Amino acid sequence: MTTTRRDFLKTSIAAATAASVGIPLSQAVRAQATKANGDWRWDKGVCRFCGVGCGIMLATKNGRIVATKGDPDAPVNRGLNCIKGYFNGKILYGKDRLTQPLMRMQNGKFDKKGKFAPVTWDQAFDEMERQLRKTHQELGPTGMAIFGSGQYTIQEGYAAAKLMKAGFRSNNIDPNARHCMASAVAGFIQTFGIDEPAGNYDDIEYTDTMVLWGANMAEMHPILWSRIADRRLSTDQTRVVNISTYRNMSSDLADLEIIMRPQTDLALQNYIAREIIQRDAVNWDFVNKHCVFATGPYDIGTGMRATGKFAFASEQDIQAKELVRTLDKFEAVAQRKKAGDEVKQENRGSAGRHWTISFNDFKKAVAPYTLDFVAELAKGDADESMDQFKDKLKQLADLYIDAKRKVVSFWTMGFNQHQRGTWVNEQTYMNHLLLGKQATPGNGAFSLTGQPSACGTAREVGTFAHRLPADMVVFNPKHRARSEKLWKLPAQTLNPKVGSHINKIMRDLEDGSVKWAWVQVCNPFQCTANANHWIKAAREMDNFIIVSEAYPGISAKVADLILPSAMIFEKWGGYGNAERRTQLWREQVPPPGQARSDVWQVLEFAKRFKLKDVWGEQKIPGLKSKGFQDGALPDVLAAALQMGYSPESTLYEVLFANADNKKHKWPDPLAKGHDNHTVTALGDSWFVEKALFEEYAAFGRGHMHDLAPFDMYYRDDVRGLKWPVVNGKETQWRFNEKYDPYVKSGSGFDFYGPALKALPSGDLDVVTNAKKTALAGKAKIFFRPYAAPVEQPDDTYDLWLTTGRVLEHWHSGTMTRRVPELHRAVPTALLYIHPADAKTRGLKRKDVAWIESRRGKIKAIVETKGRNTMPKGSVFVPWFDEGVFINKVTLDATCPISKQTDFKKCAVKVYKT
Amino acid sequence: MNLSGILVLVPPEQTQSTITLLHTFPGVQVYHQDPDTGRIVVVQEAESTGAEIDGLKRIQALPKVLSAAMVYHYFEDEDEILAGIPPELDAAETLRNNRVPPFLAQ
Repeated sequence: MTTTRRDFLKTSIAAATAASVGIPLSQAVRAQATKANGDWRWDKGVCRFCGVGCGIMLATKNGRIVATKGDPDAPVNRGLNCIKGYFNGKILYGKDRLTQPLMRMQNGKFDKKGKFAPVTWDQAFDEMERQLRKTHQELGPTGMAIFGSGQYTIQEGYAAAKLMKAGFRSNNIDPNARHCMASAVAGFIQTFGIDEPAGNYDDIEYTDTMVLWGANMAEMHPILWSRIADRRLSTDQTRVVNISTYRNMSSDLADLEIIMRPQTDLALQNYIAREIIQRDAVNWDFVNKHCVFATGPYDIGTGMRATGKFAFASEQDIQAKELVRTLDKFEAVAQRKKAGDEVKQENRGSAGRHWTISFNDFKKAVAPYTLDFVAELAKGDADESMDQFKDKLKQLADLYIDAKRKVVSFWTMGFNQHQRGTWVNEQTYMNHLLLGKQATPGNGAFSLTGQPSACGTAREVGTFAHRLPADMVVFNPKHRARSEKLWKLPAQTLNPKVGSHINKIMRDLEDGSVKWAWVQVCNPFQCTANANHWIKAAREMDNFIIVSEAYPGISAKVADLILPSAMIFEKWGGYGNAERRTQLWREQVPPPGQARSDVWQVLEFAKRFKLKDVWGEQKIPGLKSKGFQDGALPDVLAAALQMGYSPESTLYEVLFANADNKKHKWPDPLAKGHDNHTVTALGDSWFVEKALFEEYAAFGRGHMHDLAPFDMYYRDDVRGLKWPVVNGKETQWRFNEKYDPYVKSGSGFDFYGPALKALPSGDLDVVTNAKKTALAGKAKIFFRPYAAPVEQPDDTYDLWLTTGRVLEHWHSGTMTRRVPELHRAVPTALLYIHPADAKTRGLKRKDVAWIESRRGKIKAIVETKGRNTMPKGSVFVPWFDEGVFINKVTLDATCPISKQTDFKKCAVKVYKT
Repeated sequence: MNLSGILVLVPPEQTQSTITLLHTFPGVQVYHQDPDTGRIVVVQEAESTGAEIDGLKRIQALPKVLSAAMVYHYFEDEDEILAGIPPELDAAETLRNNRVPPFLAQ
């Protein structure tokens, strides 16, 4: 590179960096900056990684991405990128990129015991079709499943969900987002009747108090963290609290750090609620007008299998606790019962049931959560004095209650991956609602998201086993009818029985009730807890597993067929972030080799099935629903004929390439010369991504989830829009009359979500009046008690294990570990442990140690310093590294309401190798 | 060769003293500054990605630096991206031979 060119580039980079934070530049510098990269094509995009949804700018030249930078016009990140975001372009170019279909073969045909060999797309689809027909014949629609994703583009998720639910009449599609924010969703639906946060990221600049509950934002949401840091450093009164089970990077900026014992967040929140009442700080005006009090059963299990039939011998003791639990001394106080009581978990199947209670009952329920009780239960660092810990809890309550303070609570996996994840989400709303600090600028409980489109796709499109688009559910007959109308399906095409959630799909593979599974945009064999079971099921049971992937991760390695997928900037798509902001991008570069978009894969596969194959009568074991014969979906072919469909029509023609969708022609001027390999490969001439987006948007428009027209997102002056977008205007704060067009005029606040808004009433233990009362416009203040984790350290497994991510890597590392800079920054997952715990085990820093639980064991390098400081008795191991496969060790207990796995607590022993 | 744009944030009164320190680092040039807000824009030139990361860590470790974030990165069609993939991830061979990688064994 010549010196002149290098200087040009440096000037250009400096200009871009300065522009990102609004440092003024002279005209001369600007002119020079333009000249340096005159032959690059720049376009806007969105980051591939976390749920923050940063805008990035991408430069392409000769079909390759040559540079990326933070988008100065993006309101989320204002030109900044974190270290991962900065390498968005490089994830496409790993050496071992999958570029052709690979199938396990022997003697020229598929063999489950065969070796991977390259095959054509036709051969791949032929085998997928043959295997699916076999499974469909034997088990019907419930014998198949799709592992979906919170990283699906909106169109990918929509195409996959429609193919499954409307085409194959199977609800067995569930995303990895189940592991990520299902508890947040259940909390939203139960509290507000509608999913997703009221506020937006600007709350950071409007508030003066930010409380992190189980969210290490400095590493996991670094760009929001830079906004928090800016706010903290620029205003003296701002306070930041970090509540965690160990000291992490977020503590460096925090004014108050609270280290708690795992799962005692349930008690901390009730302590705050008790203080609010004791100090007479309830905002009665707000509560009387907009809230009701509620509770539900405590005996709900922990989401494990009800039978020990599949458990390893070493797992039997914990599995048995699924049906009967013995209350410990803390639970006895917290639940107003006796220590040692054996409680049968009678409400395992009805964990979400709840009823209204009186304020007096609520007050009685939080009364035991005194400072002394909660401090004794929750103190998480043996080296901290009880007095200091109590003082910290008082400070925490003070910050929430201070009438002059605005408060935002942020949380992610510490709450969501929790055996009572739904409860602890609801408790945050409890305190914000009691104080009336909700849904105004700078005030609110704000659930952050892990994945880039957990909101935009998994939740809003509804790629869950129970969901339909726009917050509708399969078990509601009105929702099915509306979906059937919009999808132009005969009545009773849709299956009313909730499908298998992602953990259950794994269990279904293990017990043989699912035999055909397609993995899309995720790595479930690495990311599901208690992984030894599932890997064995995939390799040793009679089943066929297809993995669409860009790189050979663990899931690809255990698959029978690997399909090469296009990555983010190799296709058209859209994501929705944690503040309801929908952002769309263009295809920037072609996918390598034979890799194709997931949308193409779904649509192409849909060409292989005809209505007569799937819309006849289907057996659905266990189906029981009004208007349906037990255990069966009706034959709808005659009704289909009346609607103008032929039994010979393919699912591609009926569900996708129909007359409405074909109105959206490709090419389209908004492409501005960008290609669309999906359309080309389909050999059709309709703009697939636009058609799917518009068809999907019809579900939400006028139904509280309005998206703008497709074209609007591609305007040069638009950087995503926060739904509901009504009359071209986005919504900043929902449920607040000043900002939200859906709020009833004159109400001030209106929690208008329609779900679960008619409840019976009762006392703290049972329903006393079964008659349901309508609660339109109200939010619920739940009482939820402390409950102990199902597995805790004992004499054999004497340490807590918690898992999580690291700043430098995204999820299972399939993409970020291909970027040399990121790989070198953190090449392997470390075992973080207190130096004293290491010493008593004969270990020192850099030694290799075994980490063993009842479920499996792995090795990792010991770290006693570094970015995380563990309290005695706890260890932390990140999960990005397939060489340090920590999910072989973790426990697959879930929140029984949300079915989200608790990756944050199980018991392990650590010893020298 | 790696070029990166780095935004450094310091308390405003520490802007000048930090710039003096930054100039002593190899490959680092200060391009812009905003003494009112303590923001400094530097461009770092490094021979390898290892040196690039080390350089960023060095800046982050300076006593008065509140944060130092890479904002912009330039890379050519570089061979580097094809090198340095960890062997345990170099799975093409494993796939074709249907070997069970050691970490998948019980």
